[in-house]
Amino acid sequence: MKRVSRRAVLGGVGAALLAAAGGVAVVRTRGYEVPADVAGRLRVLAPWQWVVLAAAARRIAAPDVDDGSVPTADDVGVATFLDSYLGNLPDPMQRDFLRLLAFLEHLAPLGQKLTSRFSRLGAADQDRVLASLEASDQGLLRGGFDGLKSLVFMGYYRDPRTWKILGYAGPFVRNG
Amino acid sequence: MIVRGRELGSDVTLDVDAVVVGTGAGGGMALRELARAGLKVVALEEGGYHRPRDFTQREDEMLPMLFQDAGGRTTRDLAVRVLQGRGVGGSTIHNTNLCKRTPSDILDLWRDRYAVSGAGPVEMAPAFEAVERDLSVTEIPAELRNPNNEVLREGAEKLGWRAGPLKHNRVGCQLSGFCELGCAYDAKQNVAKVLLPQAEAAGATVYSDVKVVRVLHERGRATGVVAVAPNAWVTVKARIVVLAASAVGSAALAARSDLPDPFRQIGRGLRLHPGAVVAGRFERTMNSEYGIPQSYECTELLSFEEGSDKRVWIVPAFAHPIGTASMLPGFGKEHMRAMRTYGKLAVLTAMVHDETDGRVSADAEGRPVIDYVMSAADRAQMAKGLVACARLLFAAGAAEVVIPAIPPVRLQSAREVDGLRTDFVRPHGLPVTAVHPMGTLRMGDDPRRAVVDSRGEHHFVKGLFVSDGSLFPTSLGAPPQISIYAFALHLAKHIVERAKSL
Repeated sequence: MKRVSRRAVLGGVGAALLAAAGGVAVVRTRGYEVPADVAGRLRVLAPWQWVVLAAAARRIAAPDVDDGSVPTADDVGVATFLDSYLGNLPDPMQRDFLRLLAFLEHLAPLGQKLTSRFSRLGAADQDRVLASLEASDQGLLRGGFDGLKSLVFMGYYRDPRTWKILGYAGPFVRNG
Repeated sequence: MIVRGRELGSDVTLDVDAVVVGTGAGGGMALRELARAGLKVVALEEGGYHRPRDFTQREDEMLPMLFQDAGGRTTRDLAVRVLQGRGVGGSTIHNTNLCKRTPSDILDLWRDRYAVSGAGPVEMAPAFEAVERDLSVTEIPAELRNPNNEVLREGAEKLGWRAGPLKHNRVGCQLSGFCELGCAYDAKQNVAKVLLPQAEAAGATVYSDVKVVRVLHERGRATGVVAVAPNAWVTVKARIVVLAASAVGSAALAARSDLPDPFRQIGRGLRLHPGAVVAGRFERTMNSEYGIPQSYECTELLSFEEGSDKRVWIVPAFAHPIGTASMLPGFGKEHMRAMRTYGKLAVLTAMVHDETDGRVSADAEGRPVIDYVMSAADRAQMAKGLVACARLLFAAGAAEVVIPAIPPVRLQSAREVDGLRTDFVRPHGLPVTAVHPMGTLRMGDDPRRAVVDSRGEHHFVKGLFVSDGSLFPTSLGAPPQISIYAFALHLAKHIVERAKSL
């Protein structure tokens, strides 16, 4: 009999969870409020996915000071930018990313014994959920978190307002 | 002539002597050489045709423009990010212009163990010399070394490790540091700047934005390709087909073209040069984002002798803000605090001259699928390399060293490196990036172990050639562009000769 590796099992579990989350998302997409100026412009994300992504971006790119001197993910429009950016990605990558958002919203909190949707949790609980994905022993979830993190930082550090945090001068040219 | 495929409004059929799939180092060289030999030749490029004025030095704009999958391509298990170029010029548009020949020991190995004939150090020397002339290859002078590279030099010098300056193919560099996002100053002596104009002058045509979906072949002979542009199909009838779409793209195309493959060699033997980084925070300002990104190397842990346990190449690897943010560990407030040290960071990468046997195949929709899980031996090499990077950074004066593992490893002194546990070097244990895919349509005269012969021609399909990094039977242990250019040049004469008899 062919031996199935632990890795394959975990990968299968991760894929199954992501797929299940997609299924759950189909039936739990109500009760999400999106700013009116955003709702009509979304290209890839459904309104509920935009809400989840915006919530994740707030925590992933959380300012280290609370004095308003650092722009938030909302200030620089991370979720709205990413809605547009996702259009650059091949269909399978888009699909996987949307499944990840569904998993993050509906199933990942359960792993931390939290019964609310991710987007309705408090900041500390959202951080716990994100940290659990980052350190998950399932490769697909870790990889998914890496992708989410990279995209959020793409949306955040693309904005010149964030460059002064780094002391980064930005491009030298005005091409394009 | 450049034809922008996105402007094609109706289907096109071309009748030529040769079609080249891809326009990176291998495709660009093949295109020029076949055109110069008088063949009627076209190249088809999946990505767009971009000029220096298009390069905005912004990561969010250049990643989708210049990289496959907007820079998000990964192995199937998401554990390794595979950065590959897309567009006329391929990866030569965004690479960091490092120029090293294929090590002689590697060429000997290919001859002795992989039945590669006619490509030993002596036979290849003229091709290397010609390529280096074409690309204006020179050693990077010490005065152009930026602080990140100086850190590597200083660290190696203090430790007494083998290290030295690198060569590059730039002329007129403005030291902006945006090489990986395309050169806005046109200082890169790459395919787009050097080879393409020469190929055009010799009569070649390039179609951009045209993705080849299938190689056509009948009764053991190549007959052309079918490709798709945004609004049209492009069919090319040709008796010579040259695959040069990278070790990922060429192998996936071969896999979906129903080529004869009795020994199941197509897609096998993938090597990636997987790399991981170590960041050092210094008290002094570094501004590592400016200047030539990679001008110095450490080869203390690199040997090409067969069976060597030194298989790590160390070079600087700084990135712009988005790349750095993705690399630094964690998220949230702690992450932002780390980002505030951006101007004081130096980053080194340990790149493994790998032995892991990966594979490229095509999914049901024809897209590349990359299977690659680092072997225990390669993980051990990477661990050694990361430890070495930490030592180099401390030797150069770093106040803190961070390995972006999960959880992150933070070291405050060189003494802490001694007892460092490296079990974080496992799939998903830390970010691993690969920029040098190789070896999926390997060359060699034994069809049981190679897809193409030593002249680059498919063992079972006459007129089908490979001219990119797919050819290499093993990892190079060196940046591959010069090897790819040189092998493309070396094999082009065989293609021209073969064209006379087909």
